[in-house]
Amino acid sequence: MTLKAPEGAPWEFLVVFAILLLGPAVMQRARIPGIIGLLIGGFAIGPHGLGWIAPGNTTVPELGQLGLLYLMFVAGVELDLRLLRLHRRSAATFGVLTFALPMAAGTGVGLALGWTGPAAILLGSLLASHTLIAYPAIRNAGLAGDPSVATAVGATVLTDTLALVVLAGVAGSVQGGGSPAEIALQIALGFAALLAWCLVVLPRVASFAFRSLGSERHVRYVVALTAFLTAATVAEVFGIEGIVGAFFAGLALNRLVPNEGALMDRIDFFGGAIFIPVFLVSVGLILDPSVMVQGDTLALAGLFILACLGGKALAAGLAGRLLGFRRPQVGLIFALTTPQAAATLAATVVGFQIGLFSSSVVNAVLVLILASVLASGLAASWASSRVSPPEHSGRPLGARVVVATARPDGVGPTIELALAVARPDGGIVQLVLVGSETDPPPGRALRQRLEQATHSAGVDGEPSVVVDRSLIHGAVHAGAASDATLVIIHGGGQSAEAIEMADGSITRGAAPVALVSESLPALRSSRARLDTGPAASALVAELARRAISREDRGSRPGGPSTDDEIVFASARSWSDAGMATRQANGAVVLIEA
Amino acid sequence: MGGKTWRIGVLTAALSVGGCAGIGEAGGAAGTFAPVTTETLSVATVRVPEPGFWHGTPERPTGGFEYGIAAALAERFGLGDLEVIEVPFDRIVTGDFGGADLALADITVTPERAERISFSTPYLAAPPAILVRAGAEVADVATAKDLKWAVERGTTLEAALRDLVDPGEPPLVAATETEVVERVDDGHVDAALIDLPVALGYARQSDGRLAVTAQLPSDAVLAIAMPRGSANVEPVDSALRALSSQGEIAALARRWLDSDLEGGRVQQVRVLRTGS
Repeated sequence: MTLKAPEGAPWEFLVVFAILLLGPAVMQRARIPGIIGLLIGGFAIGPHGLGWIAPGNTTVPELGQLGLLYLMFVAGVELDLRLLRLHRRSAATFGVLTFALPMAAGTGVGLALGWTGPAAILLGSLLASHTLIAYPAIRNAGLAGDPSVATAVGATVLTDTLALVVLAGVAGSVQGGGSPAEIALQIALGFAALLAWCLVVLPRVASFAFRSLGSERHVRYVVALTAFLTAATVAEVFGIEGIVGAFFAGLALNRLVPNEGALMDRIDFFGGAIFIPVFLVSVGLILDPSVMVQGDTLALAGLFILACLGGKALAAGLAGRLLGFRRPQVGLIFALTTPQAAATLAATVVGFQIGLFSSSVVNAVLVLILASVLASGLAASWASSRVSPPEHSGRPLGARVVVATARPDGVGPTIELALAVARPDGGIVQLVLVGSETDPPPGRALRQRLEQATHSAGVDGEPSVVVDRSLIHGAVHAGAASDATLVIIHGGGQSAEAIEMADGSITRGAAPVALVSESLPALRSSRARLDTGPAASALVAELARRAISREDRGSRPGGPSTDDEIVFASARSWSDAGMATRQANGAVVLIEA
Repeated sequence: MGGKTWRIGVLTAALSVGGCAGIGEAGGAAGTFAPVTTETLSVATVRVPEPGFWHGTPERPTGGFEYGIAAALAERFGLGDLEVIEVPFDRIVTGDFGGADLALADITVTPERAERISFSTPYLAAPPAILVRAGAEVADVATAKDLKWAVERGTTLEAALRDLVDPGEPPLVAATETEVVERVDDGHVDAALIDLPVALGYARQSDGRLAVTAQLPSDAVLAIAMPRGSANVEPVDSALRALSSQGEIAALARRWLDSDLEGGRVQQVRVLRTGS
């Protein structure tokens, strides 16, 4: 029998996946963040450790490169663009401060160390970005609606974009041949091409693909992967780092991939399980603890920490003064914008790969990442207990829209309406097929018709089936169960009438409910008329605004609708709503919670 | 913000700048190269000329893949002169560089060698390759087993031939690489196992008599050797990464080895699958 030492791809994948499994688990037992376990694991199996992954190995680094692109794609797709839009002034003010101050401090430190201009500027830019690691904890504390939190989250879009633009400029100037003017022109052309691809072509192509190919879950996921790889390729064709393209692709698909949707769940799952951890392990391969504990490396790390935390603290303090935030709110801003993780690590790795940074700098940045995450955790814990959650949760109307129907025929325009409401908020649409408890459960043919309508509208996710006393009972209960922000009932008029006549009591949920007539015309070929009768509310006006473009909107009190007109009205009772829905050919009648 | 806070801020900034000055002396962001001889990059190699790798003479090198890397390093480190010192291979791999800063001599990274010298980041993949007379084909491992082989004594290629091919007939073990190539050229053996970049160099200078028919799967890589624990490893690593990302190493491989590189690997020579 001849045995030989393990080698080749299966062995390499085995040791990497063993690290993915054991690294975070071991560290978390010692109350150390799992990311450290992946980095140390990468070191352990790498050339500076046991040498199981040889210096010439290309499998793990190339998989890590894919993970790096994935990481930046997720960073772009997860950002809350709605908050940037809602708080654009405060976000822009703070965004400029929290980018410029650490950028200046980092560049100053680099120049004082005698680094070259590009290396110093890259150091500044990587300190200027941040990752919203503390956001889930702050959101869970009910503080997502606080203006300071919204400002910090909105500003993240600006800081990360600016940091990556600086990275592209620095990397282009270091790698590109030709005069500075030629390099600047090439980078400018590259950004023009990248923006055209990401903001014009990609959303349309992805939307078309989701509608035409999207009935399979894995197809949607592969469309998302392909999207960021094409953007990364476009960027690299023009000499811009691929991570910039991946980040922009994330921003481009931001609205098409809602944070609470099924596709985002899959992106997070594969990212969290494989791609991003493999990237961290590949970073671990270049780690050298003997370098990390050297005096010079620790001194470097100390300076990075001072420049980063000092710059971020100063920016938060100044923003507090300029925007009128109290001290605990300033603490929240600091907690949100201090952590250095995704963008910082990505820019550092790129700086290492293009030869601007030595492994000492990479090791010092890893110490900074650890220190910034710890500082952020302490600040978040201190500030969260001193800021009261806003009374109104602040969840936008379109965050989670439930569409309920008992008969899928003609449900297309209603789904279109739900998508129009959800889209500006980056929200999701859920379809529910309601069966009556007195009838046989909805058959396979009915479910398939609703699935077809759901997929052809581009909705991400499968419809669910509930059985209840009536369509309205089922819709309101499904809305409550899924914490909906709006429930839309397709063909709800007749059911409302029937239920009122039957028992005189109708359920009421926490979310507003819109009854939509079964014969609702297509939104794009319709005009909107806002009923300005006595029950008219701001919410129904908002519904009309989202559904129909500005030039096709009008308003007058009451009256029947024409064929191409959709009436948006409010009602105070189910019977009024049912009546209004039946009176107009196309009606959307809102009953507020 | 009170006056005390400002004073602490100013003090911290002053201390930072002072601290920066101290660290700055230790090296730049990419590391600072410290040569043995002022203004000179001294490089050890086995022999000049070496087909494809070093052309000219030790006193006056004129080109070649490794010469190109050495010249690019000297330029990047701001060193005006490049000195080439010939040192036998077995002395280089034990850490004797003849007083040179580093060795660029087609050195494959191995754990045993890494115990005595420090390696840079790899600059070229160097899997074992099969050098044959032009027109000869080695379609698969079964064919390879039936051939008569030559290999250089004391190299990693001896073990690779045994592990990956396992020839039916004992190979001719020659003292030098040149002799190995001559035995293929004069027909004494059918094939020789040589590092791929080197084999490409011999094939290129043979006027079409020799050809590289396949490479064997391997993680073997070439790297620059430096004295064990040298502080120059960091700046050399950074410089090699920069040369690689700027496409300079690929350009040198195209010019001197007739090879297209992707991820540091030669692409145009097929891989002979061995099943291991």
